Amino acid sequence: MTAKRRARGAEEFPLSNLSLHTNKIVSDISLFHISSLFFFSSSSESKIRVFDFNQIRGLSSIMVSDSIINASIPNASKDFGKKKRANRSAKLKQCKLDARREQWLSQVKNKNCKEKMNVPVVVPSSGGGKFNGPTIETRNKAAQCCKDLGVQSPRVEEINHHDSDSESSPSNSPTSSISGGNDSGNTYTGSSSRSSSSSFSSVGIWSGSMTEEEEGEGDGSCGDDGCLDDWEAVADALVGAPDDNQGHNSNASLSPEQETKVELNPGVQPPSCDNMDSEKLKSDGDGILDRGTENGKAWRPDDASRPQSLPNLAKHRSFPSGAERHHEFTTNPWAKTMTSRVPTSCPICCEDLDLTDSSFLPCPCGFHLCLFCHKRILEEDGRCPGCRKMYASDLFEKEASVSGGSLTIRLARSCSMSCSRV
Amino acid sequence: MKFSCWSFLQLQASRARLFKEYKEVQREKSADPDIQLVCDDSNIFKWTALIKGPSETPYEGGVFQLAFAVPEQYPLQPPQVRFLTKIFHPNVHFKTGEICLDILKNAWSPAWTLQSVCRAIIALMAHPEPDSPLNCDSGNLLRSGDLRGFQSMAKMYTRLAAMPKKG
Repeated sequence: MTAKRRARGAEEFPLSNLSLHTNKIVSDISLFHISSLFFFSSSSESKIRVFDFNQIRGLSSIMVSDSIINASIPNASKDFGKKKRANRSAKLKQCKLDARREQWLSQVKNKNCKEKMNVPVVVPSSGGGKFNGPTIETRNKAAQCCKDLGVQSPRVEEINHHDSDSESSPSNSPTSSISGGNDSGNTYTGSSSRSSSSSFSSVGIWSGSMTEEEEGEGDGSCGDDGCLDDWEAVADALVGAPDDNQGHNSNASLSPEQETKVELNPGVQPPSCDNMDSEKLKSDGDGILDRGTENGKAWRPDDASRPQSLPNLAKHRSFPSGAERHHEFTTNPWAKTMTSRVPTSCPICCEDLDLTDSSFLPCPCGFHLCLFCHKRILEEDGRCPGCRKMYASDLFEKEASVSGGSLTIRLARSCSMSCSRV
Repeated sequence: MKFSCWSFLQLQASRARLFKEYKEVQREKSADPDIQLVCDDSNIFKWTALIKGPSETPYEGGVFQLAFAVPEQYPLQPPQVRFLTKIFHPNVHFKTGEICLDILKNAWSPAWTLQSVCRAIIALMAHPEPDSPLNCDSGNLLRSGDLRGFQSMAKMYTRLAAMPKKG
């Protein structure tokens, strides 16, 4: 798992470390393979990557944790071997089945008039909090909820909040939420079928790795995982939890990123659910539909009684940003709003930004760049391309040592994210 | 081994970046009529630019040719740019065409592009910086306050070197 952490958080460790580390694990990989890992983490040209991918994949039985591969898959493209394709599609199928099951479950629960509470309750049970898998499920479920309620998805509303007041007709809103549901479904199938034609949908792949980990390790590993988002989730959840007690209104003041990440965390979420449970069942059970008909929306982001546990769009907005180049998302209403804020590709090297990259803000000036280029710049003059100021190197180092639990630093960073994006 | 991989990656990155810039230039050809940026047919690391002298300067009406030599570490390292056309300007070496411009030296940022470098050079033509001259004659004229002398010299060289010959 540490190997995985390194692979995902490539910015935190010099690449040389990565190769050394894997060297320990896979002592019998030749030097070439090690150098190919190198290529991996640094998103180079696709041909090379594909080649190396084949090699390493073959070695996965020797203990290279699958997650290394999974972490690098989003960058990979085209010509995977058929064997892997079969492998993947099996995993994806599994994923899809899981998602369907969850969806179905939530539908059943919806009929039992527990509209909103399904969402947070089911998320922890899916064992994840790890990366995208649970989120996708959440999205499905949320779409389901909204469909059942016949009101506008709060997530859609939040994205389009500037124009939602004018065009909040209930008729178009269920459609959008449904399309949200279908969307994630497409992602699963899409990535398996498109494997020969174009680059993979990163969403599908991550959820693939998700299933693997679920099968392999179960729940306990999520802290161990230490991937960037989890830490943010933990941190944000800790911030979010006290807010629950003060009232839901504070929820609206959290940045969108923080809100959804809270829901990603299985460990911290349940208390807040419990808090909500009693009052919400009282007040909302009959109130939701009324509210929906009078406003044409389910919940405003600043709604005082908006449940903390309600999933919202923010996390999914950061999805498409990573996967924007994929066709499914071009029809996605929230993908478009995203483009204006976070560039799709690194302005320095012009490689596409993945999820980690696009949430990576090394400088308070808000200049986005990929981890690879950031590392290169740190090696050279260390100044931010956007403002030409030196990168705050100590801050960065503390972020790198996030496994030590430097919570305050992490919070500072998420604050800066919200500042620059809002 | 590691080192060669690393430099190879850099090469790839700079190539990808230049290719993107190339596409950008193709797409926005008409966006900036003062700049015409052309990539060498066989080498993406060699570019030529034609820039129009900014109006209300002695360079008005002239077309100046710039040669770009892009290093493999681009965009982390700035491109090397020089004037191929003779120009009488305090910050351009009269013989070699070397340009004294901070963004081509220590103030370079990887966020700059070849196009933006061209814009910066046009801005430099409009606002010479006589205190760090590469062309001492030109710098001295400006520093001594002989604006008219400078302008007539610059205009003369513009006419001689940067304008199409008549007849």
